[in-house]
Amino acid sequence: MPPVLVPVPAGSTRRAFLAGSAGLALLVAGCTAGSADAPAVSTEEADRLAGQVAVQEAVVAAYAAATTADPALALSDLAAQATEQLDRLRAAAPSSTASSTASSTASSTASPAASSSAPAVPPAGADVRTWLREQVAGAASAHARACAGQTGARAALLGSIAAGLRGHEAALA
Amino acid sequence: MADDGLLDEGTETAALNEVVAAEHAAVWGYGTVGAALPEDARGPAAAAEVAHRDARDRLVALLESRGADPVPRRAGYSLPFPVLSVVDAATLAVVLEEGVSAAWVRLLDQAVESAVRELAVEELGAAEVRAVGWRTSAGRIPVTDAFPGLPR
Repeated sequence: MPPVLVPVPAGSTRRAFLAGSAGLALLVAGCTAGSADAPAVSTEEADRLAGQVAVQEAVVAAYAAATTADPALALSDLAAQATEQLDRLRAAAPSSTASSTASSTASSTASPAASSSAPAVPPAGADVRTWLREQVAGAASAHARACAGQTGARAALLGSIAAGLRGHEAALA
Repeated sequence: MADDGLLDEGTETAALNEVVAAEHAAVWGYGTVGAALPEDARGPAAAAEVAHRDARDRLVALLESRGADPVPRRAGYSLPFPVLSVVDAATLAVVLEEGVSAAWVRLLDQAVESAVRELAVEELGAAEVRAVGWRTSAGRIPVTDAFPGLPR
């Protein structure tokens, strides 16, 4: 009998994937990386991950600003997903207390929305959807760059969130 | 992660091969997706098939450069459900992209080289963008996924 066409990795049922990837499983379960069972993580990696919390906070803020500016955009699903992503990042980032922790390390990877010089709200007269898409795209790129500097479960989480935001960018096009 | 919790070239190579296997399946599956679509609507399926073929070939070259044996294409595959309509085709495409995404995320979890992670996150994003299009065609709501490739 030929194999079933479900192109998950060979032998990687969901259970096997979780069992074989302890760090990733911890992140999926929402455990903090500072818990006793969490895998070791370098200070540099932890700082970088905390930096991405600020980037994601800016995405959540951008969705809120866009909704205020143009309620007809119907962004509730996307905004809820952005918040889920932020929650997962916060749970995974040791000592993350949001942007205060992140400001210095976020600077090299920050999205337009996370940059102090970028507008927190759509400029007057701007197309709100386009503005929001730019904020999301910048954050996706920032997470992707940060992903390359992480290892293990943290790389997987950042990469997945970056991809999720690429999907948002497509949905907003 | 590896049994001892450490990552090394061996864990990375194994995960690269898992992606190759997923890409083989996607290339095969998109043939079915395209065949179930009207001729004038096959463009996205053809483009996706090319993208997956390119990704697979790139990974095969990478594995061969390491002296590793890339997993071969299976002799055959079974569909997870009958593909009898345009919606079925789009739904199968979603399955293919989500399966490939899981393999890319697994690679991110197992990789040791930043260049491999850069490749993985780029391809993972491309897979999710395609998945958004197919979820839309399949009538799925929401059309986006907050965590592509991560286990639920």
